[in-house]
Amino acid sequence: MKEEPPDFISRQEPRDLIHVPPEFAVAEGAVRVLDEDEYVAGSSLWKDARRRLLKNKLAVFGLIVVVLITFISLLGPPIIKAATGFTYDSIPRDVTLIKSIPPFRSADGSFSWAHPMGTDNSGRDLLARVLLGGRISLMVGIISTLVSLIIGVGYGAVAGYLGGRVDNWMMRLVDVLYSLPYIILVIVLLAVFRSSTAVGQLVLLFIALGSVSWLTMARIVRGQVLSLKNQEFVVAARATGVSTTRIIFRHVVPNTLGPVIVYATLTIPQVMLSEAFLSFLGFGVQPPLASWGSLAAEGIQNIAIFPWQLIFPGVTMALTLFSLNFLGDGLRDALDPQMRT
Amino acid sequence: MFGLTIKQLSAVLFLGTLVLGTISCAASASNEEFFGRTEPPADNVLRYISGDEPESLDPQLSSTQPDARIFLALYEGLVEYDKKTLDPVPAIAERWDENADSSEFVFHLRKTARWSNGDPITARDFVYSFRRGISPELTSRSASLAYYIRYAESYNQGAVFVRDPQTQQFLLEKDFTTASNTIIPLSQTPLTANVVEYKPTAEEPTPDRDTPFHQLMHSPTRLTLPGNEQARAAFLAKNPKLQTAVAGREFVKVKGEDIGVEAIDDYTLRLSLTQSTPFFSGLLANQFFRLVPQKAVEQYKKDWTNPAHIVTCGPFKMKSWRPYNELALVRDPMYWDAANVHLDGIRFFPLADQPTMMNLYRVGEVDAVANHSIISAWVDSVRFKKDYMAAPEAAVIYIVMNVTKPPMNDLRVRKAFDMAIDKETALKWRKIVKPLKGVTPYGIFPDYPEPKSNSFDPVKARQLLADAGFPVIQNSNGSYSCPKFPVDQVEYLFPSASSNKITAEFWQAQWKQNLGITVPLRSMEFRTFADFRSKLEYKGFAFGGWVGDYMDPFTFLSIFYTPENDNNTGWWDQRYVNLLDEANRITDKQKRYAMLAQAEQIMVDAQPIIPIETGTVNWTKKPYVKGMYPNASSLFPWKYVYIERDRSKWDYGTPSLAE
Amino acid sequence: MLRFIIRRLLITIPTIFVVITLTWGLIRLAPGNFYTAERSIPKAIRENIKEKYGLNKPWYVQYGKAMWPIVRHLDFGNSLKYQGQPVSNIIARSLPVSATIGLLAYLLALILGITFGSIAALKQNSAWDYASMAVAMLGISIPNFVVGPLLVMVFSLSLYWLPPARWGGFWSKSLILPVLTLSGLYMAYIARLTRAGMLEVLRSDYIRTARSKGLRERDVVIRHALRAGLMPVVSFTGPALAFLLTGTVVVERIFALPGLGNYFIQASLNRDEPLIIGIVAFIAITLLLMNLLVDIAYAYLDPRIRY
Repeated sequence: MKEEPPDFISRQEPRDLIHVPPEFAVAEGAVRVLDEDEYVAGSSLWKDARRRLLKNKLAVFGLIVVVLITFISLLGPPIIKAATGFTYDSIPRDVTLIKSIPPFRSADGSFSWAHPMGTDNSGRDLLARVLLGGRISLMVGIISTLVSLIIGVGYGAVAGYLGGRVDNWMMRLVDVLYSLPYIILVIVLLAVFRSSTAVGQLVLLFIALGSVSWLTMARIVRGQVLSLKNQEFVVAARATGVSTTRIIFRHVVPNTLGPVIVYATLTIPQVMLSEAFLSFLGFGVQPPLASWGSLAAEGIQNIAIFPWQLIFPGVTMALTLFSLNFLGDGLRDALDPQMRT
Repeated sequence: MFGLTIKQLSAVLFLGTLVLGTISCAASASNEEFFGRTEPPADNVLRYISGDEPESLDPQLSSTQPDARIFLALYEGLVEYDKKTLDPVPAIAERWDENADSSEFVFHLRKTARWSNGDPITARDFVYSFRRGISPELTSRSASLAYYIRYAESYNQGAVFVRDPQTQQFLLEKDFTTASNTIIPLSQTPLTANVVEYKPTAEEPTPDRDTPFHQLMHSPTRLTLPGNEQARAAFLAKNPKLQTAVAGREFVKVKGEDIGVEAIDDYTLRLSLTQSTPFFSGLLANQFFRLVPQKAVEQYKKDWTNPAHIVTCGPFKMKSWRPYNELALVRDPMYWDAANVHLDGIRFFPLADQPTMMNLYRVGEVDAVANHSIISAWVDSVRFKKDYMAAPEAAVIYIVMNVTKPPMNDLRVRKAFDMAIDKETALKWRKIVKPLKGVTPYGIFPDYPEPKSNSFDPVKARQLLADAGFPVIQNSNGSYSCPKFPVDQVEYLFPSASSNKITAEFWQAQWKQNLGITVPLRSMEFRTFADFRSKLEYKGFAFGGWVGDYMDPFTFLSIFYTPENDNNTGWWDQRYVNLLDEANRITDKQKRYAMLAQAEQIMVDAQPIIPIETGTVNWTKKPYVKGMYPNASSLFPWKYVYIERDRSKWDYGTPSLAE
Repeated sequence: MLRFIIRRLLITIPTIFVVITLTWGLIRLAPGNFYTAERSIPKAIRENIKEKYGLNKPWYVQYGKAMWPIVRHLDFGNSLKYQGQPVSNIIARSLPVSATIGLLAYLLALILGITFGSIAALKQNSAWDYASMAVAMLGISIPNFVVGPLLVMVFSLSLYWLPPARWGGFWSKSLILPVLTLSGLYMAYIARLTRAGMLEVLRSDYIRTARSKGLRERDVVIRHALRAGLMPVVSFTGPALAFLLTGTVVVERIFALPGLGNYFIQASLNRDEPLIIGIVAFIAITLLLMNLLVDIAYAYLDPRIRY
């Protein structure tokens, strides 16, 4: 019996899968192209997707956890401040308190509710810092992903739709950017565009992270557009004299949304990990601000002595990434019509 | 099914956390006497983490402290560091004479010293090594250490002498100098028949031979001009008197042969200096002044440090080198003092990550680690162990301020920020470090008078700020604010390392509490940071630190010596420099120290820096490693180090530096 | 086909050249220099260094000086930081370290990932599925730099089984922890790819045919489903291997291994221009060649693809 290779491989541009570095690689199914008849299905596609997503228990679990953590990160710090007076940057005046205290302990070792996660090396409340870290990490994840979405979708769609020589050049540029030394890119970015305000430094971090993650997004969108552009509805639009810009952004791009949403969900954890990696190298957020990544990077140094410094930010971060990944996988399954069973 | 899975999931997570928690708690709570295992290695070889990967195995090219530790094993110079005090002790030179104002030195070499290939070591090897080190082509970054040697600076800068083509006479510096009170050191005063340069000793009853070169050195200094034509033209344009004098003369490049290094015979070396330099013999132990093998260098050029070609002269020689992994040395039987070398070999592991170092140490994979290996958070858990080394270090940490930009160009503002930091509390919190009043470290130079610096006084600090036009207001809840202060014009810049971060956050909190000013923190990758700081592109504050090159207060005071902003603050004062120069001409140690301290006080009063702390060596060694003392620069003459297998003779605590 | 390969190779050369040029420019833009140190160097010595390395020449002369030996003899020169060491030697020395760790980690990831992925696909939506995917997902969710020290904590500092760091040779215990740390992420990807691929295949007609023909389930799974279901893993292997061969930065740093990734980070932080350019060029070439190889493999595997 002749074995057929799975048919979806032939439908995508092999090259597009191949350049994806593992850190940014997407699970295969995300890059699938919808069949013609599914576009006809219109809104029911989204309704079906929602139904399928809600049926996927791990994805629902992920969704709940992500929403929960987001809310706690947003609402937690003001509550803690009101209740105990601790903020992420309040170093105690009393020198005997400037040390790392275990969870639920006071400085002399007796039980205390003051620091449910303990304190860091400067005696700051770890709970307040983990929640602040959540704000920063989620913000970094979401904003950098948006940056990568905007650039990546625009770039990929234009390259894919125009095709030919333009496409070739645009994709070569992506190849080149992939090969550039990322660390040096970050050093230059942070040095050339300097900012001494905390907000400005955060924005630079978003740009630094987004500037790399859009490359994969561009590849995926391009692959999608390549296979969409010769479909009847596009051909029809072209025949009726709709402008190229309008075709790309009103007709083609909306039809790539499925894979794009899926990939974006998976990009968030990847960007958060990249930020953690930058923090590990010392390029992350500026102190006294902190992200989960920078807290974990700091905690890992002290794991042998103050394990709580790693465990709390580490577990919170892992749980969030875990949930985001499951949510992303669930979305992919839900938006993948072949999975409809 | 779903519920079960989630339960299982959370159970796994919970269990994982618990297991981890217990393991790590168990690991940290152990009340062992030592930090980790203490079984001596089977063979007689020391395993030591030296710090960063060596930049080069050429002692004249690499200037870093980790590399210096390796060079102490591979190479030797005229003198070697004392294992405890770091004072110069005889090495290839058995003894030396110093003239009355410490501006000329004669070294008597031992006749038994040999290279690792068996060739004898002679004074000519030193002449070659010093000329090579100073040559502009080598671009050694430490060459300025040798600028005390006569004409070395000119040679290193590629400068030229000016000679009359007819008379072959050189123009002299004294005819053009503008400074009035120049004091000519004895090394440059003409020799007359009745001058006794050195007191006769039992070993050397007759004075050293006079030579034409010696006569030349004792003649007035020649004029030197920049070698680069454009630079020279620019220099002459500013100096019309020179310009006319130079017309029609020829320019002669300063050569290696011109510098004040002379081999009187095979075993006698004479060094002529530009000025009195009482600390010069101590400086000679620096890696820059160690011997390099002329034959190997000339034959293999830059490849001479390749393990196949390298020739060394220290107590140990090369066995194998795997960069970023291990440099293995073995005892060198050719070494003049081989009988007194205890170890069969040393394995240097180049590693800079502190937790990794300490992990290797803890499991007993290494016997000792480089200085500063214990990160501040661990200190409390390690410092009471009996293998922890606590001793003051010849290293200081301070905050530099950019005095060229407002608001920090106002002395009152600088003083206010200094007074607003509670250094007593900081010292209690940091535990192992020592105070710092100026820029010379505390407790390293016992007879050195400490400068008077500001004490913690938040009230006065706020008053000073108000005087400068930035009134500090007390809020209803007791906190302070300073709305007029241009916070966007200051920041605290520091290189990204967790140890710097934790102190940065502490200073920030202090200023916020006491002045109501939140100085933004900015951590940067090291080279970006260093670039910003040296170009004075930073606003307000930046991290500063200095490690001594030799054991004399001058190595610290010289940070502020040059007008070219080596101190990264933009501050410079001629009075300061004059006092230092004057002090260095005094041979009496007490009087010299007093005058150096007087200069330091000028700097402290001008407050270009906020002194923070004197460092501690902060490292560990296994109790069975003996003969390794926690000296102020963590530089160990390896031949004294040995492995003690008799437990009763182990070190239980920091070995004493006192005799 | 041959024309396609030649065309791709011809495109590769200018691409690499552009990459090198941009890298060179980036290094120039980055503040600081290879000789920047904590203490400032006297001006005269700085001038000597600039003279020696031609840094006082106009930028186009410097660019030409940097590029010409590369174009002419593929000679990347000597490291500036590790004076006297040729870049080619450094790469030749550190590549085997990275490659060993990388290949072993990928092998381990393949074994575990395919096992988890197949189990998950065959028992879709069961506790088996969730559990194995959850285990796999841990690999993506916990950063490398957390996993590594945790393993060290357990296996080195508590149990004293394995060394906590350093390279002990190509066949030594010191490989185990780095390989374990590195494989987590790849295992997770492979498990997900396998699961997706298998699910797709298991629903296809020919598997149904095979089953209806009465083949044993084991044969169906192993002989038919797995082979086809692993196609996505094959396509993932190309780029993954390129990255694994050339740099496993975090793991090399945590375990202090003398690999290419470690050198690359150090070179970047040290502004060691020749070394950075050499490694960037090497990585770019490896990546582009791997991509080409995978494209060729695809053409053979799937006759429908034409170039």
